[in-house]
Amino acid sequence: MPAVSAILEVRDLRTQFDTLDGVVRAVDGVSFDLAPGETLGIVGESGCGKSVTALSILRLIPPETGRIASGSIRFEGEELTTLSEEAMKRLRGHRISMIFQEPMTSLNPVLTVGTQIAENVVRHTGASKRAARERAYEMLDLVRIADARRRLDEYPHQLSGGMRQRVMIAMALSCDPRVLIADEPTTALDVTIQAQILDLMLDLKEKTGTAIVLITHDLGVVAETAQRVVVMYAGRKVEEAPVEVLFDNPLHPYTRGLMRAIPRLDVDAEEGGRRPRLQEIPGLVPMLTRAIVGCAFAARCPLATERCRAEPPPVVDVGSGHTVACWEVAP
Amino acid sequence: MTVLAVDGLVKHFPIHGGLLQRQVGTVKAVDGVSFAIARGETLGLVGESGCGKSTVGKTILKLIEPTAGRIVLGGEDITALRPGAMWPHRRRIQTIFQDPYSSLNPRLPAGTIVGEPFENFGIAQGRERDDRVAALFQRVGLRADSMRKYAHEFSGGQRQRLGIAKALAVNPDVIVADEPVSALDVSVQAQVLNLLIDLQEEYGLAYLFISHDLAVMRHISHRIAVMYLGRIVELTDKRTLFARPLHPYTEALLSAATAPDPRRRRRKKAIVQGDVPSPARPPPGCHFHTRCPYAVAECKVTSPPLREVAPGHHVACHLR
Repeated sequence: MPAVSAILEVRDLRTQFDTLDGVVRAVDGVSFDLAPGETLGIVGESGCGKSVTALSILRLIPPETGRIASGSIRFEGEELTTLSEEAMKRLRGHRISMIFQEPMTSLNPVLTVGTQIAENVVRHTGASKRAARERAYEMLDLVRIADARRRLDEYPHQLSGGMRQRVMIAMALSCDPRVLIADEPTTALDVTIQAQILDLMLDLKEKTGTAIVLITHDLGVVAETAQRVVVMYAGRKVEEAPVEVLFDNPLHPYTRGLMRAIPRLDVDAEEGGRRPRLQEIPGLVPMLTRAIVGCAFAARCPLATERCRAEPPPVVDVGSGHTVACWEVAP
Repeated sequence: MTVLAVDGLVKHFPIHGGLLQRQVGTVKAVDGVSFAIARGETLGLVGESGCGKSTVGKTILKLIEPTAGRIVLGGEDITALRPGAMWPHRRRIQTIFQDPYSSLNPRLPAGTIVGEPFENFGIAQGRERDDRVAALFQRVGLRADSMRKYAHEFSGGQRQRLGIAKALAVNPDVIVADEPVSALDVSVQAQVLNLLIDLQEEYGLAYLFISHDLAVMRHISHRIAVMYLGRIVELTDKRTLFARPLHPYTEALLSAATAPDPRRRRRKKAIVQGDVPSPARPPPGCHFHTRCPYAVAECKVTSPPLREVAPGHHVACHLR
């Protein structure tokens, strides 16, 4: 993806937290671009740094314990890492919006959903209260909440989990953001509701042209929605590719391991009535309190050599927008 | 050989409300569920939140008392047994939970936790118990020297192994596994699923495997029962269920699932709209009729019974 066209450019981002065990390098040199109107999936397991990447972009890292240690985040050409908190507040919920896994924790329980959406509209666009309420109605209708007029006056606890997530999406899109960051937006939802929400997000993306960063642990959700995918492991980007390329030809041993580890719904892998073994990835994710000298995956990698443990792998460009950080792939 | 049979199981929870906390309603969490599980077999129980699948598990374990129906474990009716009389039967049915952390005492070393059942049932003590615990640790893939560690020193996958070791200690016939891999990352989930299958083949264990995850279900189950609002709507072997689902809800579940393959993106949009109705106020007739694209007048009135429409294939739908 050519950098000139990117709406969001993340370069060598390092985000760290202070803990009793030492400094945790939660994000350790991550770079990627987001093109306008694109859906980028960021996938990885717990602790890989995918959510911290999202919080860093939004500058929501709690200052008491953490910080963006280095790197650059440019949104429409503007550097966010050095932007004032006031300017960030004007950006958040307006030009860059977000939805999280559990909408109940992001919605105010004592305000009606109509008030909450309208508040955001008033704050960012200076619209009148009446116009903002009308906008709130339009948004609830857009996210296909039945009887939207009446729902404006309901409180979050009166809504189901799926409806709350629709309200979050309505609020996030109420000021026409250029970028929507969605962190595990369907993880807490039942499968039939997940399908509805994913359909909704993709439909709205078509309508509004908002670019989406979709953060998830679920390869199925990524395959279903993303155009391009970044795979993270232990705070680092290990592979990036257009979605078909990644699933057809995963190159990093970790990505390959992940894909073989998941039980498949779409493939009947059974032979002679025997259940096949899933491929395991042995061992555990490394401690992020210690600097990892070589490749972060080396300790669990079946192909690891001495060099993998000693030197960080180069990022190899194998063409068609496919890059991988692995010595095995290096020419 | 049937090791566990459940017949017409019902569990109702009262809803209390008002100033005097009088009973104002009933949640029919489980509303007439029947199935049987054979030795060495995995029956998957799948459904969305609130469908009653976990309540089925808890009732069978007699952690809560059934409202009606029969539970037959190894040929003996345990439905009405009081806790004292239930005790000897607890050896034969054990459980694994979703979050092993909450079921492991944080103040006891892991070896003591896993060894508790040996003492409780008078199976082994002292040195012999320690040897058997060590063997269990090794069997589930934990180092024997980790017996002295505490629960917080283990990773999520290792804690689930501890939970499995504890369940295995008394050599049960049946294990009720309620979302045992849902909290685990996929690389670790694969390890635990492989272990569960190995143990089943080795010891002839019967599993009641409760999960919302269709891919996991397809991997581990032999037969699958689909639940919706307290009732089983379809029950058959897994191959048939995935190849020829007959109930519209099963069809909806399968079409809603995402596949890790971008070339197989769901072509049609989600076929069911709306939310699951509250189990406190389920719709009359077929519970699914409010979301069913095929519903006819009869569906709103009469509840379809679970009928065998082909050998081993049971469906509760007026249209099949």
